[in-house]
Amino acid sequence: MTHIFLMTDTITEGYIILITGLSIVFSGLLLLTLFFKFAMPVMLYVYKIITKGPDKKIKEISPKVNDQFTGEIAAAISAAIHMYLNSQHDHENAILTIKQARKMYSPWSSKIYSAYRNRL
Amino acid sequence: MKKVILIFGVLSLLVFIRPVFGMNASSANVQTTTTVAQMEDETSESFFAEAVNGIKQFYSFTGFANAQSGNILMIFIGIVFIYLGIKFDYEPLLLIPIGTGVILGNIPFVAGYQTGIYETGSVLNYLYFGVVKGVYPPLIFLGIGAMTDFSSLIANPKLMLLGAAAQIGVFGTFLGALYLGFSLPEAGAIGIIGGADGPTAIFLSSKLANGINILPDGTTVKNLIGPIAIAAYSYMALVPVIQPPIMKLLTTKKERLIRMKPPRAVTQKEKMIFPVVALLLTTFISPSALPLLGMLFFGNLLKESGRTERLADTARTKLIDIVTILLGVTVGASTQADIFITKDSLMIFGLGAISFVIATMGGLLFAKFMNLFLKGEDKLNPLIGAAGVSAVPDSARVVHAEGIKADPHNYLLMHAMAPNVAGVIGSAIAAGIILSFLG
Repeated sequence: MTHIFLMTDTITEGYIILITGLSIVFSGLLLLTLFFKFAMPVMLYVYKIITKGPDKKIKEISPKVNDQFTGEIAAAISAAIHMYLNSQHDHENAILTIKQARKMYSPWSSKIYSAYRNRL
Repeated sequence: MKKVILIFGVLSLLVFIRPVFGMNASSANVQTTTTVAQMEDETSESFFAEAVNGIKQFYSFTGFANAQSGNILMIFIGIVFIYLGIKFDYEPLLLIPIGTGVILGNIPFVAGYQTGIYETGSVLNYLYFGVVKGVYPPLIFLGIGAMTDFSSLIANPKLMLLGAAAQIGVFGTFLGALYLGFSLPEAGAIGIIGGADGPTAIFLSSKLANGINILPDGTTVKNLIGPIAIAAYSYMALVPVIQPPIMKLLTTKKERLIRMKPPRAVTQKEKMIFPVVALLLTTFISPSALPLLGMLFFGNLLKESGRTERLADTARTKLIDIVTILLGVTVGASTQADIFITKDSLMIFGLGAISFVIATMGGLLFAKFMNLFLKGEDKLNPLIGAAGVSAVPDSARVVHAEGIKADPHNYLLMHAMAPNVAGVIGSAIAAGIILSFLG
């Protein structure tokens, strides 16, 4: 890299670096702050609109489309969901694990070697 | 078992009996050839004199013969480091490797046998390569990135400014070092101690004050990596001692009682966007800090992406542990007395202490300054400004402890983590700026 302030003495150059350096650090982190304060929510909102389309407001939802949907139906659906969520423990796992009690022979686990270990 | 003893016994008997039967011709030959230079003129001397000579020569190679007061002093300091790490739990993961390294580096030896860390070809010299060329610091940053949770920072982005405010310590120390007569690159490397970030300090000093670069006036810069790294790490370990008095001095009791509203919940999407955006913004501003910031945010992306848990796990556990071991031992060993004990090192230690004080004050005062513009619930507890010196996570813990002392139900840790991690980003940017000015 090139030396920029070769002409001035070191202390002056020090002050120049002090001021510019501090302001760059501040502006850098300020930029980050501003981005996450303002730009990020906008970005997230735009992303949401792109992927899902804008949320409908309550007054935009026409009651005429949904006049078949009465409170009774809603109650029935919620009761069904409630029962489904609370009755899951009825379906128990049908597969039972049976552990083999007798191990297959293997020289690695053979008792005979540990019994005569001291005989070389 | 009996057979083994029997065989061993027979073999050893054979070895001892061999000379009796005159079977030692070959081994005697070897002996004469190896010592022929010394033997020739003193063949007539008695066996005893030769033995004494050998012992004398051996003694001249031992540490006892070569020890200088500097070595003894540094070994003592190394033991103090280990003691501090074990007894007071001051960053033991750093102080114990560094303390051991200090002892290793100061065992007196005869130069020329590829033993010391500054001798080309020695094993320690190869390990030290990672420090001199700045290889270890980015790897440490990768692990730090994979450990750090930036969510409190994302929830309250204005706390990022506190991390910037504490960087005044870096530039203040830089100026102080200039006034003490250090050259510009050396002063830049010394200043970064105020960033309270060991890896950054090593990175910058390995680039600026490595004893290789040539200054404009024709002289080479001094090698200050050892003193700077030791100063940075030891003051980081001493954060619980340095910061509380300054915090008490600069804040009123009322300010310390301020309760901040809990940070909002941060979505995973925001956490994923953060490393990418922060990487782009910070490295575009300060490209020289690319190795540090790039690895930091890369590590964080590994953590937050949710798909690379294995990589993140390795980075934050095994990898960072390995690098910390190597870094600690070699930085410690680089404090070889004849290179380390100089007036410069003493001045660096003094400047380091001042830099921590300035950085803490900068953070605290800036938090108070920000409070002038904030109202009601948004007001900051100025204590968290002190966490702007990076020293992750020690300074955040100190802030928390001070907050608890003022009000036992005021939990500041979460809030203090935000300026703390912002301080890491800030000091890396500052390092990049200094590097681009002076590199």
